[in-house]
Amino acid sequence: MSGFPYLTLMTFVPLAGTILILLLPRDRVETIKRVAALFSLVPLVLAFAVWAQWDQALPRAYGMVLLEHAEWIPSLGISYTMGTDGLSFPLVFLTALLTFLAVVASWHMISHRQKDFFALLLLLETGMMGVFLALDYVVFYVFWELVLVPMYFLIGIWGGPRREYAAIKFFIYTLVGSVVMLVGILALYFGTGAETFNMMEIAAAAESRIPARTQLWIFLALYLGFAVKVPVFPFHTWLPDAHVEAPTPISVVLAAILLKMGTYGFLRISYPTLPDAAKHFVVMFAALGLVNIIYGALTAMAQKDLKKLVAYSSISHMGFVLLGLAAGTPLAVAGAMYMNISHGLISGMLFLMVGAIYDRTHTREIPALRGLYVTVPVIATVLAFTAFANLGLPGLAGFIAEFFVLAGTFPVSVTWVAMAVVGMLVVAGFNLWMMQRILMGEPKQEYAGLPDARPIELFTYVPVVALILVLGVAPGVLMRFLNGPALEIVQRLGGM
Amino acid sequence: MEWNLVLPELIVAGTGLGVLLLDLFLTGGGRGRRAVGYTGLAGLAAALAAALRLMPAAGRGELAGPFWQGMVVGDQFAVLFKVLFLAVGLVVLMLAVDFVERRRIPAGEFTALVLFAVLGMMLMGGSRDLIVIYLGLETTAVASYVLAGLLRDDVRSGEAAIKYFLTGALASAVILFGMSLVFGGLGSTSLPNASALAEGFAGAGPSAATAVASPLLLAVGLVLLVAGFGFKVAVVPFHFWAPDAYEGAPTPVTAFFSVGPKAAAFAVMLRVFGPFLTMVPVTGVEGKAFALLPSLFAVLAVLTMTVGNLVALVQRNIKRMLAYSSVAHAGYILVGLAVATPRGLAAVVYYLLAYAAMNLGAFAVVIWLNNRGTGDEVDDYVGLSQRAPLAAAALLAAFVSLIGIPPTAGFFGKFYLFMAAVEANMAWLAVLMVVNTAISVGYYYAVVRNMYLQPEAERGARAAGQLPATPLVGTALGATVVAVLALGLLFEPLARLAGLACGGL
Repeated sequence: MSGFPYLTLMTFVPLAGTILILLLPRDRVETIKRVAALFSLVPLVLAFAVWAQWDQALPRAYGMVLLEHAEWIPSLGISYTMGTDGLSFPLVFLTALLTFLAVVASWHMISHRQKDFFALLLLLETGMMGVFLALDYVVFYVFWELVLVPMYFLIGIWGGPRREYAAIKFFIYTLVGSVVMLVGILALYFGTGAETFNMMEIAAAAESRIPARTQLWIFLALYLGFAVKVPVFPFHTWLPDAHVEAPTPISVVLAAILLKMGTYGFLRISYPTLPDAAKHFVVMFAALGLVNIIYGALTAMAQKDLKKLVAYSSISHMGFVLLGLAAGTPLAVAGAMYMNISHGLISGMLFLMVGAIYDRTHTREIPALRGLYVTVPVIATVLAFTAFANLGLPGLAGFIAEFFVLAGTFPVSVTWVAMAVVGMLVVAGFNLWMMQRILMGEPKQEYAGLPDARPIELFTYVPVVALILVLGVAPGVLMRFLNGPALEIVQRLGGM
Repeated sequence: MEWNLVLPELIVAGTGLGVLLLDLFLTGGGRGRRAVGYTGLAGLAAALAAALRLMPAAGRGELAGPFWQGMVVGDQFAVLFKVLFLAVGLVVLMLAVDFVERRRIPAGEFTALVLFAVLGMMLMGGSRDLIVIYLGLETTAVASYVLAGLLRDDVRSGEAAIKYFLTGALASAVILFGMSLVFGGLGSTSLPNASALAEGFAGAGPSAATAVASPLLLAVGLVLLVAGFGFKVAVVPFHFWAPDAYEGAPTPVTAFFSVGPKAAAFAVMLRVFGPFLTMVPVTGVEGKAFALLPSLFAVLAVLTMTVGNLVALVQRNIKRMLAYSSVAHAGYILVGLAVATPRGLAAVVYYLLAYAAMNLGAFAVVIWLNNRGTGDEVDDYVGLSQRAPLAAAALLAAFVSLIGIPPTAGFFGKFYLFMAAVEANMAWLAVLMVVNTAISVGYYYAVVRNMYLQPEAERGARAAGQLPATPLVGTALGATVVAVLALGLLFEPLARLAGLACGGL
């Protein structure tokens, strides 16, 4: 793995696609779609190439690989530094895969202003890739904010009836969170006095050079930026709105990748850089994590709208990430990282299924749907599979993540585990109840003769279903990436 | 060397007089009158080239020496602002040529007045002497009053001119009085730089002239100057004239007001207050009085950005909205003065560059659309992304930058201000800026929503029979959008330049 700029290409090839699409005439819809597919396929291919060489690249399982470095603003210590490790690479892979699938899924689903849609979707991919790959705070922040603008338009133009409200709410929540985060980043910069925005160097210097009390404030400032994205209760209210209104492919990207930017921030920045503050806030983390798990699950149970149900289910699952971080044992932290990926796959898949059902029946109301096993057997089966994965059925990806988190939390606090298990029961409850209501029963007359899954839809389902299965039976595939980073974080916390 | 230094001013003044002369000999209205606009453009371009040619020498400090008894200085700061003012003048004239013709504004007067206003701004930035600064200030102000009223058949234009004139005259009087007190305090009309000021306070200056005669007079004078310049840059509570003047004035003039004279006034503020802000604290009662100066700026900054943003939220006219937005941005800029560090002052300079680019970009779109028959109400922008996708995208870029989202110049401007505030342990000021940034999303969003999320209404928004337009507005628009992105990506050299410029204050 020599100096080939994998990471820069993964980040900026989609941007090149955006520019190319903008130059194409508006009515060449087929060409635009092909260009979008091609330019989102390239990062995926590159991600596979990196995956194939991972072991030679990182024999010790620690540290950054594929580092790229260029000076940008040397007088302030800002440089274009990109790199990846076992923490970020699975997220990068997830981004590449799901953006590509989102492009394919949008193929027939987006029926107006296709040029703008695909240009924005590719721009969004550049932002997400950059967030996971940047190792300089300013570059990280630039990408972080870059995500906002395309997402705003993707929800606001192609969304449902309340799209404008949902889009601006998303925008304002995340903007406020991230600008406060920027103040925190600047406080880190001046606090360490290291004259650099490099994440690794700041992480090495922060603990010893910043007064403990200031560390707590900085931690909270960063926390606000990340917590809005996760979203952590009580900053979560934008999520159901955004999810419900967003068009299906965008819901997929939102749930699968955007939420992970928040948890990634905790894992990449908050914990390694300010471990003392992280320990100080352990109870807050655990408590809010448990609130997320139980509140999210209970609220999901009460939903009549399928998309809202999936959205609240996301809130519940992100609670496990927080709980795993709070527990701070190697197994729990690895479980939190595992949850990032498994939830990305499962929730993305759930949104695809909801989209497929809505496409056919034009409703997402659970009471209005019945007997889908009979009318659209393939879609119903895939939905059932995904719902089982969502409720944590052993043998599927979600189970491994939850198991790791709970097993890792057990030595720390049995109470936390017990409370989380209550949440899991509710999660199982609403998933089963949802399946019972919409898949079983007497099929509705007006839905007879609906077309089942089209080949292009199956094409988007197969890779995700396969990965959910693989990660459920062979956790080693993913754990070989996560082990090192999880141990690193635990060591920073002073555990083990 | 001395004459080289004032070559840009000479070119601008000469062109201004030439334009007036040329106007006498041009007969007939309409297209023939364009010649004066082009002449003005050529003059400004030549002056800009002359000013750019001074940059390397100014960077080496070869032009710092006092010329003509210190009436003119050629330090990095002066030359940088000259370049900015000339660029602003150039863009404004480009934006105006079609507009002036369409709205039957007398082209000769318009062009000459813009040139004289730019000349005044250059004098303001390019001197250390209070008298020359005041002359520049008045030259700009008088030209501006007339410019505001040039739409003679529009009563709002007249109202704008009268309001601008009355408040401007009051502000000038306050400034002049403040200057006289500062003169009394310093014992000289020449403004000291930071080191001379420190010596002056210590009473150990090489000559009696540099010793501070009366710190009390100086302090009172400075406070009056804060109020007077507060009027000029529309700082709350001295801002009430701005929305009416901005709304009533011809749109290219509004664009000019919102960046040109404002930047010039900030340049003078940096020149006057910079040494006091970054000075080592002096002891005694007077020292405490000077130490309050940053707090004064902090209060004004918070008031200005908050009021500006809140009131902008309820505006329905885009010019008025941009007027309040420009009030809010003056508040952000004041943060740089409030933190009272070299980085804070440099951040002010960088922000002024970024602000000029993004605000002119926004106005360029408004003018471009107005020339094509779109009104100035926010509701007239409904469905713009379908009707004029490029204009909508350009306005979006300007607004993204005005909000402060990367990778635009506006983001780096705010970033640098944040940085200065956090460095000076004034993170609370940065947090208030954050809150304000969130508020500001509201009104920029209203326009973006109309442009992109609303389908075009069923009405003939486009007026029939447009004039054939020159590509000038489009060129200016493209240039500002490129500048909005380029100023961000070229942050390093520009921030370095800003730092160097403020180092000589």
